[in-house]
Amino acid sequence: MATTITAPPTTVTEYAGGTLAREQVSLWRDGWRRLRRNKLALAAVVYLGLLVVVAVIAFFWTPYKPNAIGTCDTYAVPSGAHPFGCDELGRDSLSRLMVGTQVSLAEGVGTAIIVLVVGVTVGLIAGYFRGTVDAVISLIINIFYGIPALLVALVLVVVLGQGLLNIMIAISATIWMDMARLVRGQTLSLREREFIEAARASGAKSGKILFGHIFPNAMGPIIVQATFVIPIAILTGAFLSFLGLGVPPPQADWGGMASEGVAAIRYVTHIVTFPSIALSVTLLAFNFFGDGLRDAFDPRQKR
Amino acid sequence: MTRGTLIYIGQRVLLIVVTLLVVSFGVFAAVHSLPGNAFISEHLHGAALASVLHQYGLDQPIPIQYWNFLKGAIHGDLGNSFVIQGEAITPLVLRELSVSMELGGAALIITVGLGMLFGVIAAMRQNTWVDYLLTTIAVIGYSVPSFVLATLGILLFALALPDWTFSLFGTAIGYPLRWQGTYGDIVQLSLPAIALGFYTSGQVTRITRAAMLDVVQQDYIRTARAKGLKSRVVTIRHALRNAMVPVTSILGPLVVSIIAGSVIIENIFGIPGLGKEFVRSITSHDYNVTVGVFTIYTLLIGVANLGVDLLYTVIDPRIRY
Amino acid sequence: MLEVKHLSTSFFTDDGEVKAVRDVTFDLFPGETLGIVGESGCGKSVTAMSVLGLVQRPGKIVGGQILFKDRDLTKLNSEELRQIRGRDIAMIFQDPLSSLNPVLRVGFQIDEAMFAHDKIAKEDVPERGVNLLKQVRVPDAQRRVKDYPHQFSGGMRQRAMIAMGLSNRPELLIADEPTTALDVTVQAQILELLRDLNQEMGTSIILITHNLGVVAGLCKRVVVMYAGEIVEEGPVEQIFESPQHPYTWSLLRSLPRVDEKRHERLKSIEGLPPDLIAPPPGCKFNPRCPFRIEKCFSEDPPLEMVGTAQQAKCWVTMKRAYAEMNAATITDTRPGAASGVRPPAELLQVVADLRTLEEPEVLETLAENPQLLEQMVSEEPAALEQLVADHPAVAEKLVTEETAAAVDGAAEDEKSE
Ligand SMILES: Nc1ncnc2c1ncn2[C@@H]1O[C@H](COP(=O)(O)OP(=O)(O)O)[C@@H](O)[C@H]1O
Ligand code: SF4
Ligand SMILES: [Mg+2]
Repeated sequence: MATTITAPPTTVTEYAGGTLAREQVSLWRDGWRRLRRNKLALAAVVYLGLLVVVAVIAFFWTPYKPNAIGTCDTYAVPSGAHPFGCDELGRDSLSRLMVGTQVSLAEGVGTAIIVLVVGVTVGLIAGYFRGTVDAVISLIINIFYGIPALLVALVLVVVLGQGLLNIMIAISATIWMDMARLVRGQTLSLREREFIEAARASGAKSGKILFGHIFPNAMGPIIVQATFVIPIAILTGAFLSFLGLGVPPPQADWGGMASEGVAAIRYVTHIVTFPSIALSVTLLAFNFFGDGLRDAFDPRQKR
Repeated sequence: MTRGTLIYIGQRVLLIVVTLLVVSFGVFAAVHSLPGNAFISEHLHGAALASVLHQYGLDQPIPIQYWNFLKGAIHGDLGNSFVIQGEAITPLVLRELSVSMELGGAALIITVGLGMLFGVIAAMRQNTWVDYLLTTIAVIGYSVPSFVLATLGILLFALALPDWTFSLFGTAIGYPLRWQGTYGDIVQLSLPAIALGFYTSGQVTRITRAAMLDVVQQDYIRTARAKGLKSRVVTIRHALRNAMVPVTSILGPLVVSIIAGSVIIENIFGIPGLGKEFVRSITSHDYNVTVGVFTIYTLLIGVANLGVDLLYTVIDPRIRY
Repeated sequence: MLEVKHLSTSFFTDDGEVKAVRDVTFDLFPGETLGIVGESGCGKSVTAMSVLGLVQRPGKIVGGQILFKDRDLTKLNSEELRQIRGRDIAMIFQDPLSSLNPVLRVGFQIDEAMFAHDKIAKEDVPERGVNLLKQVRVPDAQRRVKDYPHQFSGGMRQRAMIAMGLSNRPELLIADEPTTALDVTVQAQILELLRDLNQEMGTSIILITHNLGVVAGLCKRVVVMYAGEIVEEGPVEQIFESPQHPYTWSLLRSLPRVDEKRHERLKSIEGLPPDLIAPPPGCKFNPRCPFRIEKCFSEDPPLEMVGTAQQAKCWVTMKRAYAEMNAATITDTRPGAASGVRPPAELLQVVADLRTLEEPEVLETLAENPQLLEQMVSEEPAALEQLVADHPAVAEKLVTEETAAAVDGAAEDEKSE
């Protein structure tokens, strides 16, 4: 039944105004929608969610004690009791794999946090103060780009000691530059915008402008960049462990397990197989997720 | 070469020198301040230890030690190994560098060749299954750790070529895991080089694809087609030439990546290169070697970056420094 | 020589089918110069690119014929088309900087056009390249062939483009906004060059521009395009003297005229060209036309003869407008100003806009503007039906909103009693 109209008629101009106002919001919403449509990224998120669950469970329960020696024979092949078999010392591979999840995730996320803090701070300072400060920071960044990354991490681990935090610091030292450079660029362009000028004119402190105005506006690319730090950090952590300079034994971690597996490859292949798969799939998931994020929030990359 | 170019090269060389100084001092100070040294394992005590330390100048303050190192380094002498006693580091490191360069060079060729080929094909077939397949391979490339790929390669070789077996294991699985002599032949080189190059090829694929997609939108591609050029000519001569500019920009980081990867690969395949030497030196406290390898790699990266910058001017005539 | 018949070209984008060229028909005789004019975005370039088969995904020629020397170019395979491109029909583009490959030498890019076809003997190519540059008046041509495009000035780049276009002695040269990116003096030189080429070599030229002044200097005949369609066509003098389509009339008014005071502000046409995915019903110019009548909103006028050799696509035409609406004295050029006719409902446009959106956005817009739905129900049920066909979820909203409103209405009624 047609109802009588009491409201004033909508005009085209009003309508258009509404569209404009919605544009800002819909940029983010469009991004999320695109992300949700990306099946690969979605699958990656589900997998990573499961991984976190496994990591949490491993704090409370694993089939065997991960470091308990002799739960079965040396190099026992997968069986009902030990689905992923056992290693050289007869430790249960599944339990160790579960605990290794914690190490990989911690390395990835921890490093990303350090890189975020360092990279964002350094980048904001360089971009905002420009001049000499920027020149010095840029020089430091260039020096870091000029040195062999993994070797720096190796030296740092040796110097600092093989703790988890030290490993994260060592990895961060090799990859913070991209973040700093990104934030610097964003800051350089943002600081010229009206709303920053306005904030400055109204006497806001530099710190407030940097973290209150510039940082939130550069959030999108920063998050995307941070997402890509995680797989690189996990990979580097695995490299360190593989070379015997990762988390100290007997702590289980994927890189170290793979290394033991390679050493045992002439006898059995299952020891190298499972940590390798875990690492590869996890890195793949983080990269698919990162790609998805970027495709969704960076229109230039739209396929 | 213009004056500007020379000035630019001068600046880059200066940056290399500064980097070398900062890095070598940093590493030098760091490793020499570590507790313990290479001689602990030899059960030297008291006067004997002191004399050995004195022989290597290790009883002096670190700045003095570094100064002595620097003096030597300028003349191309990186000092002597602690562990392989009396062995001069410079010739050792140079020999190993040549091995690593052989491996790394092969990996770089694979990386750039494969990466650009895949990138171009993916871009030309944008949004088809070919594109999806190749971009997925690229992501797999930079997701699967090189040691996983290497292991997989070894296992596959063992399955496919069980007869081709001579190895350090002396068992039936047989890729020749020990580098024969100093340099490997093509067959020996192939698997380590592929395992090493595949990781970075993924990045090249992605950059090439994006660059090609960008370039084919450009007006000059339309012009080239309007001239009646064959599409192969348009793709290669007009599009790829331009797409190589952004690809060139990642060559520097690519070299760094390949160096990192070679540390792993050399250790898996027992290739007597710099990467293997580095890990040995750092785990056996042979710190003069550690510093030497680090310095050489830093120099290598600096030179590679400078080369890339000059390559730019060849690829894109608009770039002048 | 060239006959374009009922050409339609569309781009199939995520947002819908962009009908960039619709049912365009024109022809060209050997040695003739034809101008195609219209605001930017009206489909001139796409028409030209269609002729050369240069339209790329997501674009596609969806209908019509392009007869060139009795061959239908739309039916040729890619190799046959390639052989015609640059050899029989050459094309030059608007921005001479971006249209030349930055990493290849200018001389090489010209020679390459000749090597691609076997019309010019291979051994003659290098010399001909230099001579062509001389012919298009690039100074010091011998040395300049080794330069890169960024070492050329804007005007010289366009000359180089023309040299490239002429290198195979094509029968037809399509120049797409060849002077737009250049400053005025260089513009004049380039036009003069084109005129000479046409007269000396007999090359037919299609000149595409949004500037009627440029056409006047070079072309015998002109085609005016609007929103992908030809709206007027005829000999240049006739069109300039008595344009019959209000759009052409407006374009001409916006030209700076010699007899007017220099600093009088350029009048531009009010409004924007329509959305090519969902253009307004009826005549596509109706949202901007000062002379529109009711019929213009419902029926699309045909392209009809309006004089000797002149065609226009308008229900009113300027003859009538002058006679009935005092167009001679018109100062207010806003839509509908002369005729006083308002569109039936702007609501229609809103609905058209809504139809281009995604469903969640549509629902959100409707939620934000509650009166919109009511208005549609009462005023434009047909349009609403279309909207519902596109977005079925709107129907659910319709039910609830309507019932809710009805309940509200009932409650109000009760109160007032
Ligand atoms: N690649 C494309 N994708 C989608 N739409 C396009 C594309 N190229 C052109 N169009 C559409 O075709 C219309 C006509 O474009 P064009 O012929 O370039 O206009 P002009 O008259 O300025 O040369 C434009 O309004 C545009 O919307
Ligand atoms: S008068 Fe009518 S038909 Fe003619 S141009 Fe204006 S709106 Fe179109
Ligand atoms: Mg155009």
